[in-house]
Amino acid sequence: MTDLKRAPLLHLAWKNIWRNRRRTLITLAAVALSVTLVQAFHNLSHGVYRQMIDNGVRAGSGHLAIYHRGYLQSRDERLLWSPKRLPADIAALPGVTAVLPRIYLAGLAQSSRESRGIVLTGVDPAAERAVNPFLKQRIAGEPFSRADSRKVIIGERLLRELKLKPGQKLVITVQRTDGELASELFRVGAVIRTGLREIDGSLVMAGRERVANLAGQPGTIHELAVILDTAERDRQVAPAVASLLEGRNELGLVPWDLAMPNLANAIKLDYASQKFIFLIILLIVAIGVVNTQLMSVMERQREFGVLLAIGSSPARLRRLVLFEGLLLGGFAGLVGSLLGALATLYLAEIGIDLRRFLPENLEFGGVVFDPVLRATWDFGYMLRIAVYVVVLSLLAGLYPAHRAGRIRPAEAMRKV
Amino acid sequence: MLLATAYRNLWRNRRRTQLTLSAMILSSSLLILALGIFSGMLDDMLASATEQYHGHVVISARGYQDSHDLYATLDPVPLLEILRRRPEILGFSPRLRGFGLASGAKASRPVELLGVDPGAEVRVTTLSHQLEQGAPLNAGGTGQALIGRGLAEKLGLKVGDSLVLFTQAADGSLANDLLRITGIFATGDSRRDNNLVLCQLAWLQNFLVLPGRVHEISLRIADPLEAEKTAAALRTLVDPELEILDWGRLLPEMREAVASFDVSRMIIVLILYAATALGILNTFFMSVLERSREFGILSALGMRPRRILSLILLEAGLLGLIGLAGGTALGLLLTWPMAAVGIDLSATLTAVTYGGGTILPRLHAEFVAANFWLPALSLFLVSLAAGLPPARRAARLKPVEALRHD
Amino acid sequence: MTRSIQLLLFLLLLVPPTASAMDMRQLIREVEDQYMGVSSEAIMVMQVRTAHWTRTTEMHAWSLGRDHFLVRILAPAKERDVATLKIGREVWNYLPKVDRTIRIPPSMMGGSWMGSHITNNDLVKAAHIDEDYDFRLLAEDAQTWTIEGLPKPNAAVIWGRIVYRVEKKRRVPVQIDYFDEEGVRVRSIGFDRVTKIGNRQIPLRMRVQPLDQPDEQTVLEYRKLRFDVDIDRTFFSRRQLRMP
Repeated sequence: MTDLKRAPLLHLAWKNIWRNRRRTLITLAAVALSVTLVQAFHNLSHGVYRQMIDNGVRAGSGHLAIYHRGYLQSRDERLLWSPKRLPADIAALPGVTAVLPRIYLAGLAQSSRESRGIVLTGVDPAAERAVNPFLKQRIAGEPFSRADSRKVIIGERLLRELKLKPGQKLVITVQRTDGELASELFRVGAVIRTGLREIDGSLVMAGRERVANLAGQPGTIHELAVILDTAERDRQVAPAVASLLEGRNELGLVPWDLAMPNLANAIKLDYASQKFIFLIILLIVAIGVVNTQLMSVMERQREFGVLLAIGSSPARLRRLVLFEGLLLGGFAGLVGSLLGALATLYLAEIGIDLRRFLPENLEFGGVVFDPVLRATWDFGYMLRIAVYVVVLSLLAGLYPAHRAGRIRPAEAMRKV
Repeated sequence: MLLATAYRNLWRNRRRTQLTLSAMILSSSLLILALGIFSGMLDDMLASATEQYHGHVVISARGYQDSHDLYATLDPVPLLEILRRRPEILGFSPRLRGFGLASGAKASRPVELLGVDPGAEVRVTTLSHQLEQGAPLNAGGTGQALIGRGLAEKLGLKVGDSLVLFTQAADGSLANDLLRITGIFATGDSRRDNNLVLCQLAWLQNFLVLPGRVHEISLRIADPLEAEKTAAALRTLVDPELEILDWGRLLPEMREAVASFDVSRMIIVLILYAATALGILNTFFMSVLERSREFGILSALGMRPRRILSLILLEAGLLGLIGLAGGTALGLLLTWPMAAVGIDLSATLTAVTYGGGTILPRLHAEFVAANFWLPALSLFLVSLAAGLPPARRAARLKPVEALRHD
Repeated sequence: MTRSIQLLLFLLLLVPPTASAMDMRQLIREVEDQYMGVSSEAIMVMQVRTAHWTRTTEMHAWSLGRDHFLVRILAPAKERDVATLKIGREVWNYLPKVDRTIRIPPSMMGGSWMGSHITNNDLVKAAHIDEDYDFRLLAEDAQTWTIEGLPKPNAAVIWGRIVYRVEKKRRVPVQIDYFDEEGVRVRSIGFDRVTKIGNRQIPLRMRVQPLDQPDEQTVLEYRKLRFDVDIDRTFFSRRQLRMP
């Protein structure tokens, strides 16, 4: 208090906020905890979304997918194309984990007792086994073997409806590209339960060479799904893939969010609601800061009056109060972020096990997600939240500061 | 007496009280708004899963929902009177379902035929509200169909065209007929948009040779979350051979979706509550602490600690009451536009399927009483709790110490 | 249906008395070659019994070889002129009420044909029996041979095993049993009312019995039947399908 005029304002502000230690601590706790919660929750959602996307792209179209132009809109089975050297060339690009050629044909599966409409999916067994989450849901039978194998992977519900057991045969009939019907014998290799009703009731996965031959177009595919090591790599990989596609104008490159709009939208919608909630939390935080600052300004009317009387300018007072808010916010942001990091660490390592709440698989946006929710680190976002809180505290200090600047010394001295 | 003192005390330091109150009111009203939005999302989810196609409660022959056996029919007439008498049932729609081959100019596809009485169906599901083109089914007419966008594309048909249907009727005969497409719907749910044909009940009964029979009666009730109760009540009134399923049993995946939604929202609500409660606790705590000196004086004047404690708690309670009244009022005000208009995200998002339902891409709020009284009550308790520690401290405070306190 | 006609023709086969010593495959080859180009016209009655209804349909049918087949309903009046045309592996239905021809999509091929216990797929299974199955003589007594057909490892057939019983004297089938892979009998077709048509012995009645629904069956009976009719491929057209 002695050399008030010359003392650096920040230092003074710091000393001021600790003069009423209890009040500052409570405000700090409220703000810091909000920061912690928002960060931890965001990181948890971030982890869940990431896992959903990862699951979704591995079972679905990959981070990037190549189709014949028009296939995505029409799903016209005749839009088959020959991948030639593309899979090998794309697999050689940095950042690419896997390249999955696939072919999809609607057809009829028959056992000696029943028949059902199905989607016959031709895949590359070796590549798919390493990547596709569906194949990790095996409940019976043995995994895939070779691309020309007659062994199919079949959804558990479909197996039940066809009254089949692993190892038994089924005949699949599809329409060839020339319009003729073609039938082929397959055997039940493995049975999977994905938890997605649609998939479990209609999925039949077979070696793609056999499926392409059945369609009457040996060696062709509908989809080339490219799996990247991280979703963020698509910015580097996409142009490289696009340049490999030069001269093949019939083909188009589609990112996962366009190939799987349902999943992308599910995430966006969830995120939109979350953003709204975070906004509300931040508002509540701001109200808390405004409140604290106003109270402290009002309490210190007399003190401010004295300051003004000994020659402090109102502007300096305003700055002082602003700095106090800023420091409060900054400190709270710092402490909150540290706690947020700890919470994230817990959520990333241990996670939240939903299995205690929910009996079965959860589906959202056409993807089943893991019942153990785990957080992933989104440092950029954590930093942003901390900065928001600091900015908010600064804004929250504006009005109290304005009030502080308007104090008349004479009046203020009279106050208790 | 004490109450009057408490009330007067509140307004002695008017500014501080106003501050505390405004913080409470703003925080709790924002909390109410947030809860309203959650309810809105939950509502959208439920509505999409149930009101688009199934209804909230479905009455059918035992096992029909699982087998869709053509012959598992019932006579709706004796049931209608029972349903009419129950006030919570807002609408009921007798329906008949068949499966067959539909063909248009381009191709043939297997489809599901759903025969409804258009006037009754409108009160239960929203299928006819989701028309992209054309007009809904004519209540008195016959031989009309509504089909989904996907099916229309695949068959190469537009409004006004004829749709050929071919199936085996209940008497084993080969039924074939034409339906004129009066409208094309787009629900966003590919299963329906690609293989549902909605037609008039009387026409389908005739087509499948099931005169006067239906497969199910689908109900809409006032509160979808009460579906289980309504189903249980109806079970005691109808033939035990009938199966009455609420949406939770009809769509187990939807129940799980709701449960998971609840889990994740619970986390968020807890965060919100924590932030709000802390904020209130904070202001409250401060205002009580700052009056330590005053309490010290009271105690020096011979006021018993217990009375001081009661006084402070009363003040806290009063402030809490005023705060929650204001908060609820402001919460209502904030929720109003979100409920009436909401935020439409359809510019950036298309419909999302979720656990068997399709959610419209929007944020909007829903008025649910619990969203108002729960936060209000809990915030009131929070303000009491916030008053308690400082009150006890003040009550225990030695007057000398209190007076030294700044 | 067609398959039964085929089988029937296969079994009309002139199976020589020394069948046990014959190379079955060689034998079937010969039959197949014989069968090529055989044409027929028939009036038949199909009686279908299910748990919910029993109905009788009268039909007019033409066939040419294995790949061409046309059936038109004569009665009941409600379904008169509903017709089915099979060319190769494609099946078309003609619906007179709406005057439209519909091609059965692959996903519906497993569906019932004309409401019977025969599927659309049964109609198109024009598989070369000799390529799909290996035959051997299972047993032999004074009246019958019992022949077992085992599907070749990769043949696109849904059965685990087929067993024919053939009457030696007139060389006609008595019964065909279809088994799943576990050896459970799924369906059986019985033949009787054997009559001499031209120089062939033909069972005029055939009974299809799904064994998991013992009270259901489909009975097909020829009222009139003649072979070597004057029709060629052009007769089996979608235009013909619409012309009663």
